[in-house]
Amino acid sequence: MTEVATYYEEVVAPVVPAKRRSRGPGFWVYLGVATALAVAFILPIIWAVLRSFQPARLSSLAPQSADFSQMTLANYKAVSHGLYDILPNLVNSVIVGLGTAVLTTLVAMLAGYGLAKFRFRGSGIVFGIILLALMIPFQAVLTPLYLELSDLHLTNNLLGLILVYTTFNLPFGVFVMRNTFQQVPQELVESARVDGAGFMFTLMRVMRPLILPGLATCAMYAFLYAWTELLQAVTFVQSPDKLTLPAKLYEVTTSTYGSVNNAYLSAGVVFAMVPCVVLYLALQRYYVQGMMSGAVKG
Amino acid sequence: VATVADKPHLALRKRRGGPGRAGRSAQTRRASRTGALLVSPAVALIIAFVLFPLGYAVYISLTNWPLLGPYHFVGLANYKELLHDSGFRHSVIFTLTYTAIVTPPIFIVGYGLAALLRANRFGAKIFRTIFFLPFVVGLSTVSFMFEIELQPNSGGVDFILSKLGIVSDSHAWTVNQTSALIAISVIVVWFASGLTMLILTGGMQSIPGELYEAADVDGASWWAKEWRITLPMLRRSIALALIISIIGSFLAFNQFYILAQNNVGLETVVEWIYQTAFTRFQVGYATAMAICLVVVIALVTTAQFVLLRDDTEL
Repeated sequence: MTEVATYYEEVVAPVVPAKRRSRGPGFWVYLGVATALAVAFILPIIWAVLRSFQPARLSSLAPQSADFSQMTLANYKAVSHGLYDILPNLVNSVIVGLGTAVLTTLVAMLAGYGLAKFRFRGSGIVFGIILLALMIPFQAVLTPLYLELSDLHLTNNLLGLILVYTTFNLPFGVFVMRNTFQQVPQELVESARVDGAGFMFTLMRVMRPLILPGLATCAMYAFLYAWTELLQAVTFVQSPDKLTLPAKLYEVTTSTYGSVNNAYLSAGVVFAMVPCVVLYLALQRYYVQGMMSGAVKG
Repeated sequence: VATVADKPHLALRKRRGGPGRAGRSAQTRRASRTGALLVSPAVALIIAFVLFPLGYAVYISLTNWPLLGPYHFVGLANYKELLHDSGFRHSVIFTLTYTAIVTPPIFIVGYGLAALLRANRFGAKIFRTIFFLPFVVGLSTVSFMFEIELQPNSGGVDFILSKLGIVSDSHAWTVNQTSALIAISVIVVWFASGLTMLILTGGMQSIPGELYEAADVDGASWWAKEWRITLPMLRRSIALALIISIIGSFLAFNQFYILAQNNVGLETVVEWIYQTAFTRFQVGYATAMAICLVVVIALVTTAQFVLLRDDTEL
């Protein structure tokens, strides 16, 4: 935890007012190199956004500066109805993403609370089970999971995806929540109990402000996982109306005419990208914090 | 510093040695019940969708299970067949090759980015955000993005490379095996080095500044400081970054499934398992491959725990 705490203080929290350095040649070299690298890292993403406004008839020609004068929303209109309608898939992805985020956060919160603040028989075994689950990639149990979900009538079913996504996000989520609850002072819990508060009241009223960052971390990771996952999405769901956005975009790349439909795909890519970027920029602090605590523990 | 809450199994042992069970108050018993109740949904889900499938997988791997229809128990036949299956062997060798190709550049670029921003100079926060952005977008979306940009003539990759004078004619990057592997590797380095940067940054920030100040007093060069102070102190973070990167590459699927469609020979292990089960309908055989995958990943993860535990810092 020391590592996380230090990282948090020094990097994530507002940077300590830097020592007033003389801005010599070294500084300008640093700024030049960092800026050049930043351009290289962000250019493909900006390019992808610009691409989505390119008229479809130009998208199979070599890019030209004149393209900028003909920017259009036509691609977005095209993917909103008809043959390449991706709106239902967008809705599926929102349902699966939010469902996974809510369920993961809820279940991980309860388990983290139990592991951090209660002593009970078998807690060692529970901890071991979660550690074991952390070591098993979903890719390794893809076939038995498919057969199991099929028997439970959970294939071609968004609930099935939510349950599986939640489960594979749980080990990380439980670790994050257990760490969060461990940082809640025991005296706070004790005094609430002395006042006669039940364990749920303690959780909901007394600890809520202290565990919100942990909950945000959990929810965001689960959402982003569900939003971008492809292998399970194409394995467990086949019926076109139930596909999530990445699975639908894959279908667009393999479309009937044998050539990729650049224009439609480019608009779909922006739909897929926007929630990730917005969530990351808005909740960056929780993202990095979670990355460190999850990574250090995992 | 490990507390009891850090190690529930120790707490358990301690309690057994303490006052006898009869001494436990009703309150303790109630707390114990509550604790078990709180963890039960998580445990139920993990048993249902991780542990049960794992056991089921062992059973399926001992049968000739097709996707539909009857099946027989075939013992270890699937595993014996695996030893002589050139297709599976090819996918394993290909995945290892890919892992060997991308791991060093991801690490070097990630380390470079972390070192560049280490001093928290002007703009470091914004640069860090930008370098991590590709990872945030997700590998599936990134692959769809480059599906468009890697096309001959119209793609952005050809456009920029020809402007820079690196290529003179258009390339169908994803059609040729070598060029597809090069393109995917470059994309993955761009995608993943931000993660390595972040992990190493965490480690770098926890190295006491006095060490560098002392080295400065002794007149140590930049290289000497990196070799003698940064690298040894970063041991844990480096091990972590490398293992996350290696496991990620070994389980690669999205980038090859999307960008190397119809490019025979560029199938990773996970893709090969997927195809064996769901396009060739040999579920039993595919599951035997998956069991081998579990064993390999478990070994790598165990190595991670050994490497990361072996340290007095934490």
